[in-house]
Formats: sequence, structure tokens, C-alpha cells
Amino acid sequence: MSTESKGIAVGEADDSGRIQDAEWTAGEVWQRHGSKLVTVINLAVFFCIWELFARSGAINAIFLPAASGMFSALWDGLTTTSPPGAVISGSIRDHLFYSLTNLSVGLAIACVIGIPAGLLMGGNKYVETVLSPYVWALASLPRIALVPLFILFLGFTVKMQVTIIVLSAVFPIIINAWAGVKTTEQSLLSAARVFGASRYELYLKVVLPYTLPFIISGIQQGIGRGLIGVIIAEIFGGSKGLGFLIRRAADTFDSALMYAVLLVLVVVSLTLIQATRSLEAYVAPWRRVNSV
Amino acid sequence: MANSPAGTVRRDAAPGTSPAPASATPVIVSKGLTVGYKLHRERKRLTALRDISLTVNAGEFVVLVGPSGCGKTTFINAIAGLIEPWEGSIEVNGRPVTGPGPDRAMVFQDYALMPWRTVESNIRMPFELQDLGLSREEMDERVRRYIDLVDLTGFEKSFPYELSGGMKQRVGIARALVSEPDILLADEPFAAIDAMTREAMQGELERFVAKTGQTVVFITHSIDEAITLGDRIVVVSYRPGRIKEVVDVDLPRPRFDHDVKSLPEYSALRDHIWRLVKDEALQSAYGDKR
Repeated sequence: MSTESKGIAVGEADDSGRIQDAEWTAGEVWQRHGSKLVTVINLAVFFCIWELFARSGAINAIFLPAASGMFSALWDGLTTTSPPGAVISGSIRDHLFYSLTNLSVGLAIACVIGIPAGLLMGGNKYVETVLSPYVWALASLPRIALVPLFILFLGFTVKMQVTIIVLSAVFPIIINAWAGVKTTEQSLLSAARVFGASRYELYLKVVLPYTLPFIISGIQQGIGRGLIGVIIAEIFGGSKGLGFLIRRAADTFDSALMYAVLLVLVVVSLTLIQATRSLEAYVAPWRRVNSV
Repeated sequence: MANSPAGTVRRDAAPGTSPAPASATPVIVSKGLTVGYKLHRERKRLTALRDISLTVNAGEFVVLVGPSGCGKTTFINAIAGLIEPWEGSIEVNGRPVTGPGPDRAMVFQDYALMPWRTVESNIRMPFELQDLGLSREEMDERVRRYIDLVDLTGFEKSFPYELSGGMKQRVGIARALVSEPDILLADEPFAAIDAMTREAMQGELERFVAKTGQTVVFITHSIDEAITLGDRIVVVSYRPGRIKEVVDVDLPRPRFDHDVKSLPEYSALRDHIWRLVKDEALQSAYGDKR
């Protein structure tokens, strides 16, 4: 630890030539990228078998359309938009935009309510005692059971749909933020106190950064739940959104469109979850190292 | 102690027998300190330390040894101001301890580095949390100096998870030293570090505090580490922790360079402390109903 003797850093004296370029061997390329190739082939084979199976006529096309039919419905749905003045749109794009807007608004409201609520519950014993029975009761209640109630209150409106999304997404966010505050490592708090942190600084400089990745995984769960909320709300009521389009496609025996919407939902859901994972890895790289 | 090799050995250090030479300035004065924890679920109070009276003088390196769970950490936490005494008192620089202060800094066994902060930002943290009256340039200069001191130059922008255990603890040491405190508290700082790095770091620490004249209270499980570093070794008994004996270590310094381990006094001292600790360690290992 003294400047004249750099004795601690064993073997760090000469760094030149320590890091050299190394070409990947074919085996290493396969190890790194092989799984992507396998996935592409895997999916291609899956859709081919689907196509052949549907064309063989083993199952009525009302239940299982040909994969090519689904893809063409998907293409039409995403590239066309309904003419101005149309009462009901058949375009996936319009409904996707509507659903995603509602989901974003619902998630934003859920964050605005859920993050402070969770932080307060973790930080204050009285708030925790007062709020926790309600949080647990509503978190454990299947949200779909509330849909008739909100239709009664708010009718088949955007408000009703957004309310259901908020209720679906807010509890994972609250509970994760709460748990993050509660599990803040004691030694980090002790360290900050020894170096002079006030109560306020403990929250700002230790608890909050420690809780941030918890909040993000709460939002990640919230997205999953919120998406369920979107679809449920739209299937139950309203004349817009992907949930409505599924219902309408089923009612009109347009199974190609229905499967196309399901595929869109899978892609949307995976994209959003992957995005939050990347965000989590970005703000909390130390957790990624620990978990993988 | 007829066969006590190195200096005087005090037995049954009673309250108030602080072995301070007349000239020394007492920095940490603990009088009849009793402290512990509340076990809320069991509705009980656990006494971790009973009746600890100890005076640590300016520039002294005091090492606490004792079995796990004997309350060594509790003592250091009381000095740091993280817990309040139940009975007795603890004073630092003549004032009763009411909370943490910039005159004391601590090195933690599990490093306790903020994982979201870089090496540099972790070391700068004490400056953010307390006002030492330094200018921006002085702070920058100190951070740079202590990063260099612990040989982490080039790793300023690394995160703790990217470092080895020894490097993490060097960050912890730099963070404790950057505010240049009078008193350095160290709670088994090298316990999780491999043996070779550990010895090197002991040597560097010894040399550094000899230069700065800082007062050190250091906890360890290792008798060798205690003898290598300490001016005095305080042997703490098992549950509740009391001072069993205070042993002076009069081996030449710097001990790391003198290779004191080969001296006959060293092995005699080691033997003596091991005898003191053994009973307590057995109690700690097999419980109290041995």
C-alpha cells in the first residue's frame, strides 16, 4: 500500500503482450452462434410441418389454418389500415396501436402509483402495517374477477380497460419495490452510516440504488400481467384492441387472422420482456454476473 | 508469567487497568462497557460484551482476538458509533461516542462496497457523506493518491464485481483512509482473502500506519495476523465477551520485513495466545454445555 513498494499487485508489473488477438476456431463460432442457427431452422421446420399438416386436411381449417394463410393475414393486417370513417377496423396495425397505447398508459400509471407505494411500505413500518393487508388481498385476487365490476362502474370504455391494466400491473411493482427496500444489505447500510450518511442519505444513496433492479423486475412482471389485463379487458368489452380482434376473428371464423394476432402478442410480449431484461442488465450489471 | 517471552503479560485485566504509559494520549477509552442486542422474537436481551474497560492510545495498533460470536465486532461497532452502550461508557478523543464521525473509519470483512459504484466513486463516497472542509481539487487529489496507494491505478472505472477479493478489500481500505481518520477500525478485513495476498497486505498495512501514526483497532481470528500486526493483543472470552487478557507484543518493527516468525519469542507468544484462545474456541465450537 505504499507507493515505493507496489508489492500487493502481484504480477502486474509488465502488461505488454498480456492481451493478444485470438481468432475463433470453427468450434467456438458454433458454440457462440450455433444456438441462433438452430432456432431459425427449428422454427422453419415447425412452420413447414404446420403447413403440411393443415394442408393434409386432418384438421378443419376453421380450427387450424395453414401457416401460409396466417402469415398472409399477418402481412395484410400489418400493412393495411382501415379507411377513414370506418366503424370497425379489421387491421391488426390499428388494434395493435390501440392496445399498446393503453398498455403504456396503464403501465405508466402503475409505476407512478406502485414505485412510491412500494418504497414507502419498505421504508416506513406504519405505512407497511396499514397498507399490506390491502396489497396482499388485491394482489392475490385474480384480477379477471374484477372485470364485471369495472364494466358496471365505467362501462365499455378506455377508462375501464386502463383501470384493469393498472390493477394488473401495479402489485408486482409494489411488492418488488417493497422487497428491495426490505432486503437492502445491512453491511452496505452500516458502511454508509460509518462514513457519515444521514437517514435521508441512506435512502437516497444506498436503499434506492439497491432497490432499482428490484423495481425493474417488478415492471417486467407488471408488463406480463398488464398484457393479460389488456386482452381480458378488450375481450370482455369494447370495439378496439387486439383482444377485440381475437374475439371478432373467432366470431367470424377467420382463424388465420386469429392466429396472426396470437403471433403478434407473442412477439410483443417477448420484445417488452427482453427490453426490461436489457435495462436491468444495464443498470445493475453486478446482478447479471451473480445470476448467470 | 514466568515464561512470557515478549514483554509484560497482564492477566485478568480488571476494569480500569489500562496499560497506558504516562506520556501516551488516550484516544479510545472504554469504561465498564456492556452492550448487546435485543432478540425481539424471544423477548430477550443478549449481552454481547460485558464490562469492557480498555484504553487505546494514540498511534497504537490494538488487535482483538477471540472465538466467533464473542462480541469483537460489537466492540468495534460501539467505537464506530453504530450501537449505543447499555452500561458504562465509550469515549473517543475525550468525547462520548454518540454516533459515527469523521475521526473514525472502518474496513469491513465483506468489503461492503456499493456494487453500483465504480472503484473511484466508492472511494469518494466518504467525501459525499461528510463535510471535511476540503476543496474539490483536494478531494480529487486525495482520491487519486489513495487509489495509487492501494495500487488500483487503472481500475478507477471498474466495478467491484469485476475485481478479485484482494482488490475489493484494497478499495475498502482506500475508502477508509481517504478521509485520513485518526482511528482506523478493521473488522477481519483480510479474512476472505487468500493467504499469500493476505500476508502482503498485512505488510503494507503495517508500514502504512507506522508512517501515518494512525490508531488502529483490528479484529482477527488469526493469531499469526494478531502477532504480526499488533502492539497489544486483547484476548476476548466467549459469551458474554470479556477481556481475558491483554498481551503486549514487543517484537521489532516492521515485522513483515524482519521475518519475526522465525524468532523464538514469536512461537512462545503464539503458543501463549493459542492457550488463551483454545478454551474459548472450544466453547464456541461445541456450545456451552460441553
